[in-house]
Amino acid sequence: MTATGNAVAHHADVGDALATLAARVRAVTVEISSRDGIGNGSGVIWDGGGLVITNAHVARGRDSVITLAGGGTFDAILVASDPARDLAALRVDATELPTALIGDSNRLRTGELVLALGNPLGIPGAAALGIVYHPAACGPRGGRWIAADVQLAPGSSGGPLADAAGRVIGINTLIAFGLALAVPSRAVMRFLQRVRDVSPQPAWSAS
Amino acid sequence: MTSTPQARGTLAALSDDLASAVERAGRAVVAIYARPRIPASGVLWRPNVVVAADHTIRREEGITVALADGRTVAATLAGRDPGTDLAVLKLDDDAGAGTPAELGGDDTLKAGHIVLALGRPGTDVTASLGLVSVSSGEWRTWRGGKIDRFIRLDITVYDGFSGGPLIDTGGPIVGINSSGLARGQPVTIPNVTVRRVVEQLLTKGRVARGYVGLAMQPVRLPQELVSALGLPGRTGLMLLSVEANGPGAAAGVMLGDILVEFGGHAVQDPVDLLAALGPESIGHAVRARVVRAGAVRNLDITVRERGGR
Repeated sequence: MTATGNAVAHHADVGDALATLAARVRAVTVEISSRDGIGNGSGVIWDGGGLVITNAHVARGRDSVITLAGGGTFDAILVASDPARDLAALRVDATELPTALIGDSNRLRTGELVLALGNPLGIPGAAALGIVYHPAACGPRGGRWIAADVQLAPGSSGGPLADAAGRVIGINTLIAFGLALAVPSRAVMRFLQRVRDVSPQPAWSAS
Repeated sequence: MTSTPQARGTLAALSDDLASAVERAGRAVVAIYARPRIPASGVLWRPNVVVAADHTIRREEGITVALADGRTVAATLAGRDPGTDLAVLKLDDDAGAGTPAELGGDDTLKAGHIVLALGRPGTDVTASLGLVSVSSGEWRTWRGGKIDRFIRLDITVYDGFSGGPLIDTGGPIVGINSSGLARGQPVTIPNVTVRRVVEQLLTKGRVARGYVGLAMQPVRLPQELVSALGLPGRTGLMLLSVEANGPGAAAGVMLGDILVEFGGHAVQDPVDLLAALGPESIGHAVRARVVRAGAVRNLDITVRERGGR
């Protein structure tokens, strides 16, 4: 290795920036388990009112337990689910949680860096780096997906896909043809809007 | 975009650079419809000339190419070289077809470099990120083609990847990717090889290869024989088949002869012989040394062109 002092410093910058990014996204990533304590997926703390977004295939029952990155656990109630888009909204009775910065999935470019956080194979808070393979790919079950060249595994489902600035731009959902497929943040917002339209006083609002 | 890299952060700047490199190089990346199911990728190498991975061209008629600007144009197969897994298509539409590739240097890639592989397995360009895992010298493919550098990638191969370009983070294309040369593992055919093969395919429609009409297998030679005859190595190639009236037979080669040298070079593996049968060998008498009945004989084999009439 003949790297110069400058190169080393530059690489250290990238490494530190990645570590900071991973820590920021990890803080808003939760583990979601069913009541019997079996870990079965990941989720994102979407807003300050205790709203957690995950996949419908992760939040199967009415009640589940979420575990924060710091280790605290909360009971969560399923408030809405859309199996077709594979999204679910859970509510926890807490308002002091770190909340995700939400990015605009419509502004993604092919080739930009993305970071996936979750609990793949039961490893809490594991991060995987990759790039956008296609920002609006046609995928299974209709709808558009963010296709990413990033490694997911069972347990990643429901966790955040974030951009280089730490903004959540998708919910990791599927692996297809080796690609990670994430539900775009725009689709999550439409899902939440539909839920609000049906129930003007959302179940997760702090009342 | 007026903020400095520092203000946007190291990662955001890197991320922007990657996306911009994909956008720029992506203008020369095309989709090639020449097989069932998913299309393969290709590169608009120069105006109206598209380079593809040979193994993705499954039909020779009715080929169409989708360009970055959204147009789909008919293409004619100008030539193919299974040896290097390259094929050249000419676009039928002469009306200024697309943006040709921006080509980078050939010897800049080292193991560890961050690279992007681009493809267009449909209407849009796609990209994956990885590293160069090996960058070393010239090699021969399993089909006998000469590739000037061995560039192996640590990158995920997705459907339709072959025929697409490899770019470094600066943007210019450094080679054409193929998963058809190393048991499905991704390798890159460097620009220097692509340029040479494209020239040959455009002028002749094929890359000519020499042919001697011999089938062989490596055999170990007894040390006493090696010493007594002053042979170049302990392994030779025993001839298992000599095609009637072929170049070898015409030179007096016999079944059971053990080939030890060809054109002044020791041959210990059939690949060594393939290496000596490049386009330049055709039509020339090449000195072969064979061991027969415990003695060395010199035979001059006049190399013919493979598949030549």
